[in-house]
Parts: sequence; structure tokens; C-alpha cells
Amino acid sequence: MAGGPPKALQSSGPYSLRDMPHPLAGSSSEEAVGGDSTPSPDLLMARSFGDKDLILPNGGTPAGTSSPASSSSLLNRLQLDDDIDGETRDLFVTVDDPKKHVCTMETYITYRITTKSTRAEFDLPEYSVRRRYQDFDWLRSKLEESQPTHLIPPLPEKFVVKGVVDRFSEEFVETRRKALDKFLKRITDHPVLSFNEHFNVFLTAKDLNAYKKQGIALLTRVGESVKHVTGGYKLRSRPLEFAAIGEYLDTFALKLGTIDRIAQRIIKEEIEYLVELREYGPVYSTWSALEGELAEPLEGVSACIGNCSTALEELTDDMTEDFLPVLREYILYSDSMKSVLKKRDQVQAEYEAKLEAVALRKEDRPKVPADVEKCQDRMECFNADLKADMERWQSNKRQDFRQLLMGLADKNIQYYEKCLMAWESIIPLLQEKPEAK
Amino acid sequence: MEQALPDPERPLKPAALEPLGRSDAGLEAGVGEEAEGSREEGSGTDTMTENNFGLKKIEISVSEAEKRTGRNAMNMQETYTAYLIETRSVEHADGQSVLTDSLWRRYSEFELLRNYLLVYYPHIVVPPLPEKRAEFVWHKLSADNMDPDFVERRRIGLENFLLRVASHPILCRDKIFYLFLTQEGNWKETVNETGFQLKADSRLKALNATFRVKNPDKRFTELKHYSDELQSVISHLLRVRARVADRLYGVYKVHGNYGRVFSEWSAIEKEMGDGLQSAGHHMDVYASSIDDILEDEEHYADQLKEYLFYAEALRAVCRKHELMQYDLEMAAQDLASKKQQCEELATGTVRTFSLKGMTTKLFGQETPEQREARIKVLEEQINEGEQQLKSKNLEGREFVKNAWTDIERFKEQKNRDLKEALISYAVMQISMCKKGIQVWTNAKECFSKM
Repeated sequence: MAGGPPKALQSSGPYSLRDMPHPLAGSSSEEAVGGDSTPSPDLLMARSFGDKDLILPNGGTPAGTSSPASSSSLLNRLQLDDDIDGETRDLFVTVDDPKKHVCTMETYITYRITTKSTRAEFDLPEYSVRRRYQDFDWLRSKLEESQPTHLIPPLPEKFVVKGVVDRFSEEFVETRRKALDKFLKRITDHPVLSFNEHFNVFLTAKDLNAYKKQGIALLTRVGESVKHVTGGYKLRSRPLEFAAIGEYLDTFALKLGTIDRIAQRIIKEEIEYLVELREYGPVYSTWSALEGELAEPLEGVSACIGNCSTALEELTDDMTEDFLPVLREYILYSDSMKSVLKKRDQVQAEYEAKLEAVALRKEDRPKVPADVEKCQDRMECFNADLKADMERWQSNKRQDFRQLLMGLADKNIQYYEKCLMAWESIIPLLQEKPEAK
Repeated sequence: MEQALPDPERPLKPAALEPLGRSDAGLEAGVGEEAEGSREEGSGTDTMTENNFGLKKIEISVSEAEKRTGRNAMNMQETYTAYLIETRSVEHADGQSVLTDSLWRRYSEFELLRNYLLVYYPHIVVPPLPEKRAEFVWHKLSADNMDPDFVERRRIGLENFLLRVASHPILCRDKIFYLFLTQEGNWKETVNETGFQLKADSRLKALNATFRVKNPDKRFTELKHYSDELQSVISHLLRVRARVADRLYGVYKVHGNYGRVFSEWSAIEKEMGDGLQSAGHHMDVYASSIDDILEDEEHYADQLKEYLFYAEALRAVCRKHELMQYDLEMAAQDLASKKQQCEELATGTVRTFSLKGMTTKLFGQETPEQREARIKVLEEQINEGEQQLKSKNLEGREFVKNAWTDIERFKEQKNRDLKEALISYAVMQISMCKKGIQVWTNAKECFSKM
């Protein structure tokens, strides 16, 4: 970061975020190194520190209404991203119960959103509303607008090619529901985004359309100010850590793209294999009809191959419905993160330009004008938010991929287990001695 | 068994001669009964895989294959493969085997042997040779006859052929077969001297020509139908299996790409790196495992192919019966018409059309002397015809009896062999599934450490 009094922003107490040693870190002190230039994008948040371990400057105020420092403090207030014990959780959101609505103009699906919360921001302890995809899309845009310094989770793809995918099929709707549920849960888990007013309205309002029309702009101060950042300033030098994040995201998205292509290719090959199997099994049946003693064994083999075919079909369906969509989501995620990084660059560029302009004026008074200070504020806020979000993102990404890849392995194991069972069960049939004539 | 005489008129009898110089020798490799008694039994011979009885006299193996170059009949340079056939005699007492004969043969000589057996044992379902050219290939296998994998599988197939012949209660006693195993030089000449090519019924080559048989033996008709159906279904099975193998190969190999991309991805990760890297390694293992799996499956395909070709041999027996029956009916018909002619000449009534009758009408009556002469000729012919019909009938009944014995033996062998083939196929599939579970479990563990 460039000069000025930035350090205080990062800390919420005597410790700076990065200076806190990771409780799980062994002898490695990598994560405990302070300073700006640590290029590791993969810092884990201090996980098991509870509220009581930290001395907080504020009692913790909802984001969006107070000082730029609030996001960091909130970060500390709601430490755990993925609480295992759920103790600190006070907001639960679920997406389920898809229903088809047939109207004169269009047909669409709505999902039920159930919210349970003890937060003060919610009038009632429980809410149940119905939302459709375009409502989610609206929410996401609003979040991007109002919280530009944060990483907003991705939505499943908006458009589906008609005729290729049946957007009312059970499988498609279920895949989408899971993605939407994940979307809301990611927001719920975010210490800043979860307090966003638009999010609240989304979860609670009976008539969302009316609210949409009002166009109430409840932007955070930060949001407001970032919104007005004009582009066109050239960035001098990107801090190492953000450069590293950018590079990381580039490679990450590339690798995910490759994995997506490989997975698609595997599914294609598996489907072609399935087509052949479906012809192969019945030939044993045809043969069985010609034979006497061999009739039962051959019929058994035919049935066995049929069972394996079914198992394979289940595998390919799972891959298509569960594996591929999550991969694609992460690609979309990294794309949107790249845009946020760009915005950050612009904010920094503007600040640097203004600072330079002041320096060039060669005034005697080394006073920094108010608007330059504002720029600096903006930049530092952005940097802090982004850094915190990146850490959270890395941690979640790790867990998501662990789950995803273990799930992939599981599905394959289940496929082989089903086939194994089928073949093992016909061995006794094949070994049966014919009855003595 | 009698000595064969090169008399084209005589109906064919098996040409088995007792092997010279061996008193108790019998080439009953793999037969589980006493040598003398086994001849009568059509069934009860053990399969190729059960050659481990103490009574086994000899062991046959096709142990090597070698590329050779030589000059063919048209004095052109050619490359071919020669196979080493080793025969060992096994001593009862200590089970030790002693190498007694060792010679090289090429595929065409095997073909010659088989063609000879087909002619001299028309009532036997003669074991088939492995395919001449690679068929039912899936993409990885070469269709080239010089390809080492093809040569190796052919070597095994040729060995199997010899073992099948050696364990057949009747074929094992054939002298030409014995000489094939023991006399390297001059064997071809010896076979050709039997004149078997002359005896071969050329009509057998016309596979689809129909011979209208008035009273077919229903059993043979059904059997012929069965052999046609069997050929058709096994061909179909082999074709689809090859395509299945192709696709399976593709599935496994694409997984290898995961290995590389996981490795590349692990380079930019901190905690996730190790898990990804080692999981990638398991994906490589998975991808390369398919080569061995499919090679094993080729053995199953070869077992099916043998019976595909056996179906043809079965059909040949039915065909021979058909032709015999046809000849019989033709002979009977001929005899009947001659008898009728004779009768008409004797009684003077003309009921049947004859050229003689026409010319008589046109050019005048024949003299009584001329008529007597004709009757005499006819009577002689009728006599001969009756003798021939009798022996043909006998022959036909013998054929049916012997053929049916061998067919029953064949059926039992087929059921045994194919059941075993299906079991070993199932075992292969089980092994493949277990390997798959192992690899993915290992990968899952790596992922869990990410």
C-alpha cells in the first residue's frame, strides 16, 4: 500500500489479521508474517478464535451504515466461515420445493426460500417466500452494485439453449435448485453480505416486485463512493499480493476449464460405451434361446450386463448433474472475482493519480486535501475487504473441492461396487452342475 | 480300424493305421480312461484344460513361433511364420516327461492336416484351426498377420487344435496326425499320396447349394439349423464385444488427462497441492490398467471364436449327411426307374417314356433278340444297383450312428467349455471392478487430504 496511516484499518485490536498465527499452523511461520508483500493468496483465516479471544474496538455494527473499518471488525465478530458447531450462526436459509407456474405469457419455476434468524434485522424469527430465477439475478446485481468491494458468489448460468436442455425436467430443476441454495448459503455465511438490505428484502418481502420498482438505493458508503470511481487512470504498480491473486485466478480458471473439458469427454465416452453395452447384453439372451444346458448361464450373463449398464447410466447422470455444474460455477466465480480485482486497481489508480497531482502542485503546505484522503480511504477499505474475502474464498474453495472430488471418487466407487455385485452373484449360477438326466 | 485303400469307388472309411514301432502307444493325450476302452466311448473325454491325469501318455505343445523367409511355389520370396511343435512322452511312474519329437510347421501344413481329417472322418466334428486372418479386431489390435500379439494368439490356437485332435478318441489314432507330429520332411508328400483330395466331395464346397432331400433325418436338419444360428449369434457377439472393448479403452484413457491437469493445478495450490498431485498419480494408474484388462479379455474372445469355427465343423457333418442321403435317394430313384423299364420291356407295356421307345416308333420295332439283350443288361444293372443301394444304406446308417455319437460328445464338450469360458469372463469382470474400486478409493483418500 502507498503511504498514509493505513495500518490501523487492518486490525481490530492489538493484532493485525495477518499477524495472528494460525492455530493449526505447525512450525511454519509463513502465515504469521506481517507486511504487505506476502504473496500467498491462500492464507487461512484464524479458525478457532472465538469472539472472546479478540479485543474489538466496536461492539460490532451491521455493515453498510458506519465507518470503513466496520467490515474488518465484523470479520472478527463472526469468525467462523463454516461453523461446525453452528453456535455462532444466527441465520439459516434454505432453497427447496420447486414448483412450476403456467401463466398466459410464460411458464416458469419458483423456489421456496425459508429463512430462520434471531438477528435484529429480521422482524420475525421465520420467513417463507417464493422466488424465481430472475429474482436471484436481481439480488446478485444489487449486491454487486452495493458491495463492490466484496466477492459476490456466482449464480448458475442464466440462459439454457432451448431444445438441448429441458429447463423443466426434474434433473435440470434439481441441479439449479442446488446451485441457488449454495448461492444463498454463501451470502449467508458472509459477514458483510449477509447484512445487506437487499438480501434482507429478498428473504422477507411478500411482494418483491414492488420493492424492485421503488428502486431504493441502499448503498453503503463504500459502495456509493466506489460507484463514482471513474476509470481511465493507469495503475502504477499493483501490490504483490493482488498481483499474485490475479495470476492465481488466471491459472485456476484455466485448469478448471481443462478439468471441465476432460469431464465432459469422459461422460461422452461413457455414454458411447453404454450404447454398445446395451446392444451387447441382449445378444447373450438371443444365444440363450438356442441352447439347452447353457440357456440359464447365458441368460444370467445377459442380465448381469444389463445391471452394469444401468449402473453406468446412473454414473453419467450424476456426473452431469452434480459434478459439471459445480465446476462451472467456480469458473464463473473466478471470472467475477477478476472484475472486482480490476475495480480495485481502478480505485488505486485514481488515488495515485490524485496524489501525484497534489505532489506536482509543489505547495509548501504538505497538507493532503480532503478528496485525496477520501480516495485513500476508499482504496484501503477495498483492499481490506478484498483480502478478507479472498481468504474466506480460499478456505471455502478448498472445502468445496475436497467435497466435490471426494464425491466424484464416491460415485465411481459405487458404480464399480454395483457391477461387482452383479458379476459375483452370477458365479454360482454359472458353476451350477446340470441335473443328472 | 482298417487300412485305407486308395480306391475311389469304395466308401470312405477312417484311414487310421496303427503307428509303427509303438506297441502300447496311443496318442490319447488327456484321455482319462484306459487306452483300449476309450475308443468306444463318444463322451467322457476331458477338456483341454484337464490334462493332468496320470494316464496321460504324451504332451504336445506349440512352444515357439519364428519368422522365416523362403521361396514359394512361384519362386517368389515370401515371409511366413513357423511354429515349433514339441512332443513329450510322460512316464507313468515319476511323471517326468522326455522330449521325443520336435519339428517346425507352418500354418498351411496345419490346414492340410485338417483338410485331410475332414475328408477321412466325415462323421466327426473336426476341431477348427485358429483364424487365418485377424477378424473382430478392436482398434488397438493389429490386423496384421505378422503382428507379435496375433502370432502369439495363433500359436496358442494351434496348440489348442493339436490338443483337441490328440484328445479325440478316434482322431488321435490317425497315422497322418501321428506323422504330422513326428515326421518333418516328406510329410506333405505322404498326405498327398493318400489321394484325399480326390476323395473330397466337391459338392461340399458349394455351401449354400440345396439338395432336395425327400426324407431328411430330422435330427440333422435341426442340428444344421442350430449350427447356422450359433454361427450367427457368436459372430454378432464378437463384433459387439470388439466395439465394447474399444469404448472401454477410451473411457479409461481419457482419465489419464486428469493426472496431468491435477499436477499442473497442484503447482499453484498450497494445502491442496499434495492431495491433488497424488490423486493425479492414481488417475494415471487407472488409465494404464486397461491394457492388461483388455488383453485378458482377448482370451475370452478366442474361446468364443473357437466355437464359432466349431459351428462350421458341425454344419459340415450335417451337410455330409445331407449329401449322403441325397445320393441314396438318387440311387433308389434310379433303381426304381430301371426296374420299371425292365418290367415294361418284359410285358410290352410302355408306360414310361424312353428314347428307345420313340425311335422304335419312328424307325420300326426292334427284334425280340434285341429286346432280350436289353432286358439282360437292365437286369444286370438292377442287380448291381440293388447291391449298391444296400451298401449305401448300410453306409448311411453307420454314418448316422457314428456321427451322432460324436455329436453327443461334442455337445458335452461345448457345454463344459463354454460354461468355463463364461466363468472366467465373469472372474475377469470381477477383477476389473475390484481394481476400479481400489484406484478410486486411493484417489478419494488423496482428495480427503486436500
